[in-house]
Amino acid sequence: MKDKKTYAVVLFKAVSYALKAEKILKQEGLPHKLIPVPKQISSDCGVCLRFEQNIQNQIEAALLNKVEIEDIITLDH
Amino acid sequence: MADIKIIDARGLSCPQPVVLTKKALEDNARVTTVVDNETALENVKRLAGKFGCAVTVEPKGKSVYEIHIVRGTDFNKDQDFAASCQTGTAPSGPFVIAVTEDKMGRGSDELGAVLIKAFIHTVAGQAKKPDVMILYNTGVKLTVQGSDVLEDLKQMESEGVQILVCGTCLNYFEIKDKLAVGIVSNMYDIVETMSSAGRLLAP
Repeated sequence: MKDKKTYAVVLFKAVSYALKAEKILKQEGLPHKLIPVPKQISSDCGVCLRFEQNIQNQIEAALLNKVEIEDIITLDH
Repeated sequence: MADIKIIDARGLSCPQPVVLTKKALEDNARVTTVVDNETALENVKRLAGKFGCAVTVEPKGKSVYEIHIVRGTDFNKDQDFAASCQTGTAPSGPFVIAVTEDKMGRGSDELGAVLIKAFIHTVAGQAKKPDVMILYNTGVKLTVQGSDVLEDLKQMESEGVQILVCGTCLNYFEIKDKLAVGIVSNMYDIVETMSSAGRLLAP
């Protein structure tokens, strides 16, 4: 399914950050999805936000100075 | 030459043939076990192999085998052996997941909402997917427009997972017109599905 799309995930230090970021992205109307952190990525937090890579700039802008981001990682598949 | 101990394990279910053979080997240098299925044959052969015994198999008709075992010199009766019984005792009936709430676990509802999303997303990504997924009580909220797991549920449905959504529950929450995935079901189907399930899982 959706093989052509490239996804990336935003990682946070804690679940609460991910929830806060999710609320902001919802308000901004930016498509995203809360998913468990993929196994191949290690992180302190068990959930992350996945988004299509072509909107990475908008995602980063929306979260800038509002939620601390740990990392953004592009998913391989 | 020592006597041969004969174990007739025909008609016995796993792991009995292995248990009896191992017990017989503790007191006898030569044991012949008669089995009537391939699972028992493989298990007894593995047992003999692990205990360093010589094995010869003599087919005796349809699925019946005589397994001749000669104990080795380094036989250690205290060694453990686990028979593999999957083939004989695999659960029959569908794999069913019952989603009873729009959250997972008790304690924090906010956290529970995160967990159920992660749960459904992960189930959708598993190679071994459920045959049926039943959603009831607040669980039905996951199947309506605006649900964050709609994509995952739709994907599972397209891959053959039957998604049963409790109609009474949709009605109660007044969201029946917003249903976006699955089929509206009733208590008869839900009870029947749960009763016939080989495995029933509730997050």
